Amino acid sequence: MSPTDAGVHGRIRLIEPACTSCMLCVRECPVWCITLDSHTEPDPDAAPGARVRLVNVLDRFVIDWNLCMYCGICVDECPFDALAWDAHHPAAAPVPEALRHGIAELA
Amino acid sequence: MRWVDWYGDASLYVLDVALACCSLEFDAAVPGSASPTVEPPTDGRTAVVISGTVTDRLAPAVASMVDAVRARQSVPPVVVAYGVCACSGGPYWDSYAVTKGVDTLLPVDVHVPGCPPTPDALREVLDAVVGAPA
Amino acid sequence: MTGVRVEDWHAAVLAACGDGYDWFDWLGCTDEIGVSDELRVVLSLRRLDEPGLPELLLECRVPRSEPRLASVRDVYAGAAWHEREAAEEFGVEFVGGDRRRLLLDGGVTAPLRKDEVLAARTAESWPGAKEPGESDAGAGAAGAASPSRRRMVPPGVPSPEVWGDRDPVSSPPDPAEVAASVSGGRVRRRAR
Repeated sequence: MSPTDAGVHGRIRLIEPACTSCMLCVRECPVWCITLDSHTEPDPDAAPGARVRLVNVLDRFVIDWNLCMYCGICVDECPFDALAWDAHHPAAAPVPEALRHGIAELA
Repeated sequence: MRWVDWYGDASLYVLDVALACCSLEFDAAVPGSASPTVEPPTDGRTAVVISGTVTDRLAPAVASMVDAVRARQSVPPVVVAYGVCACSGGPYWDSYAVTKGVDTLLPVDVHVPGCPPTPDALREVLDAVVGAPA
Repeated sequence: MTGVRVEDWHAAVLAACGDGYDWFDWLGCTDEIGVSDELRVVLSLRRLDEPGLPELLLECRVPRSEPRLASVRDVYAGAAWHEREAAEEFGVEFVGGDRRRLLLDGGVTAPLRKDEVLAARTAESWPGAKEPGESDAGAGAAGAASPSRRRMVPPGVPSPEVWGDRDPVSSPPDPAEVAASVSGGRVRRRAR
């Protein structure tokens, strides 16, 4: 089932292993509600003696539900299907900070 | 703007500050047993629900509405920012005319995410208000 | 769409009304910068006696530097509100029109002109300015963006050499260049 299939648009979840930190979702989000931090490391799967290649490693991924307007552009844009609609709505919270969900809450 | 006796049993009076699209979800959330009310008793439990985008022009009116409720009621009202416009300005946060969230004007007790949130989300918040000890 | 010269605007609208287009639908404005140095005011009228007929669109172009047009609120009372909106959002002056502000106080002028930059977007730091492999905590490992690398600008914000962080002795930014650069994406070099 593709992430863009119809279903309840309760929230957007992150499939962390699929994320390559390409920054597309962050840049395409019309309200700037996604924040992403990453760093690079040598590719652990490179053959021994091969030229060193770098891969991105995701450190931090946050969706600010105070801002998300549920347009789904991030879900559509992700080339790696790392974002998907999910039926579970984020709960109301007493303070805005509690509505900024990181990798664990977005799983 | 109007007051709603939410359950129709005087246990909770809700001030409907209906500014934009989220107000339609508010309307859908109102229980069937609700009854309109002119003004709650001064010792009644109250909630103020701000639904929709607050423009800078209207912001002083919203602030003074909440202040008036605070001044009048012996128990402080629960202030609910319903929907992302009320929480942060939402999709219009960068507008030249929009207030970036009700909590830039006054203290907010509950932030409900969603664009719009579901009517159920509001019912859950208000059920919790009534459930809380006075 | 029928083009009308500035000096003929009121007469043309009055004539259309007399011709049976007596139902005012809307009056709007667009900023033609990048195409021509003008604001385009468009008026849509209908005739209720023949509802199947398409709308009559009248347009008038006024210079951006001196956008002045006769008000038609004496022909269609409903036009007054639309003219107030066009005046507030684009800076068009409707002579004989309703001068009252609608929504904005004095601090913001003509925000819908394309060379007006959304201040909030320039003040807020864009999460997309980071490159893959970069984090807020500081420069990443080898391969992250080097300090001299130009950063992407978000949609809605012109690139620094056009607006904002510029060489102070250079000439003021050309409105057309500001308008063109707000589409974001890769940093553009100013045309030489």
